[in-house]
Amino acid sequence: MTTRLVGAPLTRREDARVLRGETRYVDDIVIPGAAQAAFVRSPHASAAIQSIAVPEPSEADGLLAVITGRELAGLRSFPVMEPRGAHVAAGEAHPVLPVDEVRYAGQPVAAVIARTRALAEDAAELVEVEYEARPAVLSPRASDLTLMRWSQRTGDVDAAFAAAAHVVTGRYALPRLVAAPMEARGAIARYDADADGLTVWCSAQDIHRSRAQLSHILGRDEGTIHLIVPDVGGAFGSKGVVAPEVAAIAAAAIRLGVPVRWTEDRLENLVGAYQGRGIEGDVALALAADGRMLALRARLWADLGGYLLTTTPIPPHTAATLITGVYDIPAADVEVTGARTHKVPTGPYRGAGRPDAAYMIERLVDRAARELDLDRIELRRRNLIRRFPHRTPTGLEYDSGDYERCLDLALELAGPDQPSRPLGADVARGTGFAMYVERAGGGFESARIQLRPGGRFLIDSSSSPHGQGHDITFAQIAAERLQTAPGAIELRFGDSASAPGGVGTFGSRSVAQAGSAVARAADAMVGEGARLAAHLLGLEAGAVRLTPAGFLGDGAALSWAEIADSAAAPDGHPPGGAPGPLQASARFESANVFSSGVHAAEVDIDPETGQLSVRRLVAVDDAGTLINPLLAHGQVIGGVVQALGECLVEEAVYDDDGQMRSGSFLDYSLLTAAEIPPIITGEVETPTPLNPLGAKGAGEGGAVGALPAVANAVTDALGGRHVEPPYTADKLWRALHGADDRPAVPEERR
Amino acid sequence: MVINGRTYDDEVEDRTLLSDFIRHQAGLTGTHVGCEHGVCGACTVQLDGEPVRSCLMLAVQADGRSLRTVEGLAGPDGELSVLQRAFTEHHALQCGFCTAGFLMTADALLRRRETGSISEAEIREELAGNLCRCTGYEGIVAAVRTAAQSPRH
Repeated sequence: MTTRLVGAPLTRREDARVLRGETRYVDDIVIPGAAQAAFVRSPHASAAIQSIAVPEPSEADGLLAVITGRELAGLRSFPVMEPRGAHVAAGEAHPVLPVDEVRYAGQPVAAVIARTRALAEDAAELVEVEYEARPAVLSPRASDLTLMRWSQRTGDVDAAFAAAAHVVTGRYALPRLVAAPMEARGAIARYDADADGLTVWCSAQDIHRSRAQLSHILGRDEGTIHLIVPDVGGAFGSKGVVAPEVAAIAAAAIRLGVPVRWTEDRLENLVGAYQGRGIEGDVALALAADGRMLALRARLWADLGGYLLTTTPIPPHTAATLITGVYDIPAADVEVTGARTHKVPTGPYRGAGRPDAAYMIERLVDRAARELDLDRIELRRRNLIRRFPHRTPTGLEYDSGDYERCLDLALELAGPDQPSRPLGADVARGTGFAMYVERAGGGFESARIQLRPGGRFLIDSSSSPHGQGHDITFAQIAAERLQTAPGAIELRFGDSASAPGGVGTFGSRSVAQAGSAVARAADAMVGEGARLAAHLLGLEAGAVRLTPAGFLGDGAALSWAEIADSAAAPDGHPPGGAPGPLQASARFESANVFSSGVHAAEVDIDPETGQLSVRRLVAVDDAGTLINPLLAHGQVIGGVVQALGECLVEEAVYDDDGQMRSGSFLDYSLLTAAEIPPIITGEVETPTPLNPLGAKGAGEGGAVGALPAVANAVTDALGGRHVEPPYTADKLWRALHGADDRPAVPEERR
Repeated sequence: MVINGRTYDDEVEDRTLLSDFIRHQAGLTGTHVGCEHGVCGACTVQLDGEPVRSCLMLAVQADGRSLRTVEGLAGPDGELSVLQRAFTEHHALQCGFCTAGFLMTADALLRRRETGSISEAEIREELAGNLCRCTGYEGIVAAVRTAAQSPRH
């Protein structure tokens, strides 16, 4: 009998520690003698630095040092990733601290290191920086400085547009958003001069990328950096690149010979942490008379901010490559320009290009249905990709999926379509559907497993969690293969001293990549156990098999505990076998896998006030085989609610001078428990053939599908008028009453 | 001041926040600081039984008062409370950073309403002073409902 653990909704094991308050977030870690850093930040969006006058270090004031860009001239700027086929202006990389100019309000200009945080903040006020303000460029279309460009042309797009029965166009824009994890960023750096070793505890998504970035910036070998990721209070993409402040305190710890801590406060996080979205585009679809999609054109502009951080070029590239969505469109001409603006850089935020693409294509398809007078569901059905693998005209290869099944389930869960009431009734009601495909997985991760006394296992995973629930999920994967209980398996994460090689936790890839590595390592351990069991039972290696009772062969049984005992004995191994505990490791690598889904929304708009009320949401997601449905559901709901926040309230607002006007939680609102409508979920499980689990990714789908679903419902309620999110009462009232002096363009007519 | 039944006697600067005293002087780091401007509720503790934001108080204001933090929620034998157990059962925490604040708010609600059921709408209103960025609140609301339906003590 095989124990089925994959698919079981087991609860998490790390919860008890958190519920008791025994947490170890970076600011909970006590390092005796650690100094604290505060940062002087630019008040200007764009300015030349003319001079910096700093207070002298003073024992009486507890001030150890003030470090500016000049002191850090030996450091390199951030490494920058180059998406395949993209041109990236690597010379525009973010410096740790600037020397002669600042490019966004909030940019760190000087690090003040003092005995306590309060003293550091006191001393920061004594630093005098003279600036010469310059005009700020805030719109990506107005910028003449390109930081990143990618384009692809497949098929005869011009001919398709020339011959098309219908051409439908749309102009769309998504504002900048703040990831706003409840724990802002932070780190502690400690340098051991004798060993030339730097230890960094960092609130980060992973050890690997953080360490590689610090290695590049500090110009020191990765082997001299011990990176520890302790408990992390959320990230949503925003902790995949170390903060410039973290590199600064690492440099300070090396110079001063004392440990240095930086704990970011919320106001710093809102203005200084890299933001998400901030993309706009013109998209056009060529359709045949019967609604078949013939070709797509897209010109996208991304607002990348003042500099490139390591992953800044990734989301616009992802948006551009996913722009054809779930549709079988043979030809496409797509170009994305990432422009320099005088704002904090952008980077991945939950979805990281996926919601951007889904928003544009799904709004455009709804518009096409209106213009062609076709049912919006029927138009989608006629164009769905149905054969896999599918090569998109943007160069992606979708591995698997069943888009129509997701659509049918979403229709069933949404119930019968309620016709929109005409404007002028007591309420404007709309419904909307949206489909999405999500690039997930990809790249490599690894795992190492060790058999310990009593038949217990220790697994070192290359991946580390920040709330996702790696621990029980990976324990389920391993326990099923090892025919043991999850309780026999301990996971260890987040320490470069023990973790095997990998990349990190982002892009909905942990189960597919790191989980598959755990599965492969467990399989290898079963092989090792069988080899030893056969030796002990005097049988051929193939003559034993693993059962929940242990290895069975020729009427005898050996449990994992007995195997562990034998492995520890000097003569316990077959001739030629290495003595000591059984170990196995695995590295798993695959191409991207593609999750998908269909979301639906039903909304009301009060014509008197313009107030939007989302009545309910439906989320059908296909993340492949679900290992733990309880945790996968948590990912979906969390993502949907973030998307709902994006629809209702969230926007990083800048004034004409480039000052952020939503720099507190009073101005940048997050939704509360009282504002969440009923969310009905459904799962479709189409396993991927690209990994041993069949798992794709569930981390972002919720945040991808709900945005265009609500957008389509709002447009439906407005009778076809298009408004950009967030759907504030002001914008909707203007759209309803034709009082638009702003972008609420009446672009859709029956 | 007394925290979780233990007396803490220490000197503080007049500007020291209660949240910083709890975390860095009393060493009770289970209480987290999420915004330091009174919006997110992560730093919620109970002051003489009432939930308060410890980032909006100075430590000196709590002189001689009685505080309860997340470390004081489990029973004397270390057994998790009904509310704490419900949080795990309903997957009410992901990153866990906001959890202590939600527990202290919800625990005060359950204590204030010793008997009788609490509607979902009421729970949602009561919890609206605490922000969670991970869960979408579904599991948290379900956990508090479950705890409200269980015998309280």
